[in-house]
Amino acid sequence: MKLGKRWLPAHILVWTYAVLLVVPLYYFLASAFKSNDEIFAHPFAPPTSLGFGNFRTAFESADLGLAVVNSALVTLFSLALTLLLAIPAAFALARSTGRLAGVVEKVFSLGFLIPTFAALFPTFLLAAATGLFHTRIFMVLFLPATALPLSVVILVQFMRTIPPEMEEAARLDGASTFAVLRHVYTPMCLPGIATVLLLNFLTFWNEYLYSLVIIGPDPAQRTVQVALPTLKSITGTDYGVLTAGTVLTLVPVWLVYTLLQKRMQQALVSGAVKM
Amino acid sequence: MTTLTTTPDGSAARRSAPPASPAPAGRRPRQGGTVLAVPALVWYLVFMVGPLLAIFVIAALHWPGMLQPVSFAGLDNVRTVLDDPVFWDAVRNTAVQLAVAVPVMIVCAFMLGYYVAQRPPGHRVIRYLLFIPGLISTPAKAMVFYAALSPDGLLNGGLESVGLGSLADAWLASPSTALACLIALDIWAGIGFTAVLFAARLGSVPDELGEAAQLDGAGHWRTMWSVHFPVVRDYVGVVTMLQFLWTLFGSAQHVLLLTQGGPGTSSTTLSFLVYQKAFIAADLGYSQTVGVLLFLAGLVGLLTIRRVFRQNY
Repeated sequence: MKLGKRWLPAHILVWTYAVLLVVPLYYFLASAFKSNDEIFAHPFAPPTSLGFGNFRTAFESADLGLAVVNSALVTLFSLALTLLLAIPAAFALARSTGRLAGVVEKVFSLGFLIPTFAALFPTFLLAAATGLFHTRIFMVLFLPATALPLSVVILVQFMRTIPPEMEEAARLDGASTFAVLRHVYTPMCLPGIATVLLLNFLTFWNEYLYSLVIIGPDPAQRTVQVALPTLKSITGTDYGVLTAGTVLTLVPVWLVYTLLQKRMQQALVSGAVKM
Repeated sequence: MTTLTTTPDGSAARRSAPPASPAPAGRRPRQGGTVLAVPALVWYLVFMVGPLLAIFVIAALHWPGMLQPVSFAGLDNVRTVLDDPVFWDAVRNTAVQLAVAVPVMIVCAFMLGYYVAQRPPGHRVIRYLLFIPGLISTPAKAMVFYAALSPDGLLNGGLESVGLGSLADAWLASPSTALACLIALDIWAGIGFTAVLFAARLGSVPDELGEAAQLDGAGHWRTMWSVHFPVVRDYVGVVTMLQFLWTLFGSAQHVLLLTQGGPGTSSTTLSFLVYQKAFIAADLGYSQTVGVLLFLAGLVGLLTIRRVFRQNY
């Protein structure tokens, strides 16, 4: 369809919204290299020098370096555990024709509708009861559970497309069930695994409320999302440091997004059902 | 997502009920391996379903703090909650938030999605940018709004530089604007990502459909609402449900990071009340009673939205 002149208002509105999305990011990036005085005098001017003073202050005052390491550890181990649980489960559900498997699959797909926030306090009790309160370990155990419904459903969809003849051929060569999973199904649903990894990378890296309540404010343990808001109270209104800290937490996500743009967009659209 | 859309007639309760006979049917699964689903299922039940059920138990307890003795309260907590004016303030704030944020978000996102799906010049750039709010973490979004709305932030600076300094305000700390700021954050972050979802769905609507309508003399406005919208109606319903749940439950984090529910109770939402009563006021029975009510509100909202968006062609 051709877009006529009457589309001018639409173009203007859409690009206004685009500007509203970009300006804060530009402001944060520019301010990260400026002092408070410069920020107030010329909020939108590009920085005059590319000093890393603000980043250093943010690192030191909120222990951001350690927080990045903690976030990376929690994210990596949670991702590994998610795959370890979701791939065999999806394998079982995709191949099984039994009624029980159907019920299990229903249970997982209904999990979309459980907002994770709802059970915050009971989860906190569970952490206390297991003696894992104020540890990163509990988060590594807990986060995969929140990701399972989506991951299992996505992987089942991919595994259903694998023709049964592939398995029969492997069976003729004497492969065990585990070997079929490892050498036939896993390599053939790598795109699905990539989708699950990307989606959960975002969710786990960005997780805030549970990390705050369960890992707590201890600088040795807390993740970067918990450390970031503390910059607000530590530095008062030093926007340079605040913005530098924020930019720092966005870098990993931004890198992944820009490198894997197409795949990331597909993953986000297919995973829209996550809470 | 398909489970939500395949049976436009059925109720959620019917879909969640297991089939009549719970035992596995006689047919053997293809060469074993079903047991491999057990670890994931156990994990899911222990960390997700268990805590969810626990809400209902704790809601019936009198539990004035983590280390305090616990006693059975029955429906006392419900009575306390319903008699508390703070609860009703939270109900009002949540209702305002949902009534403004969700419709604005969905309508704008649908139009934006339609725009992007027509592939106008620059649509690739727009698409790249629309993903931004979906990538940024909640604390980072809150920092953006804090920098924009604090007394010496961007917005006030902007107003002063164009000579409207008298309009400047402490936006997040003023009772009349605190809730509006939270709603603005929901809308700002919600439109972009929702629009991408709609664009993806509208992209699969055959072009001929729109072209036929154009030949009949319909403009884009008519085509958008009376040709494309009915086709993707059920999908719009699903996305509306998700945004509804997101807004209902997710507001706790924004409130916690930006206004702490204040000033007074002017920006206390229901989900923040659950958090505040549990972790700040240590009134655990109260907190989880609100949690149960919140859960029920979510359920009623979901069923209502399903009904409204039921495919009717």
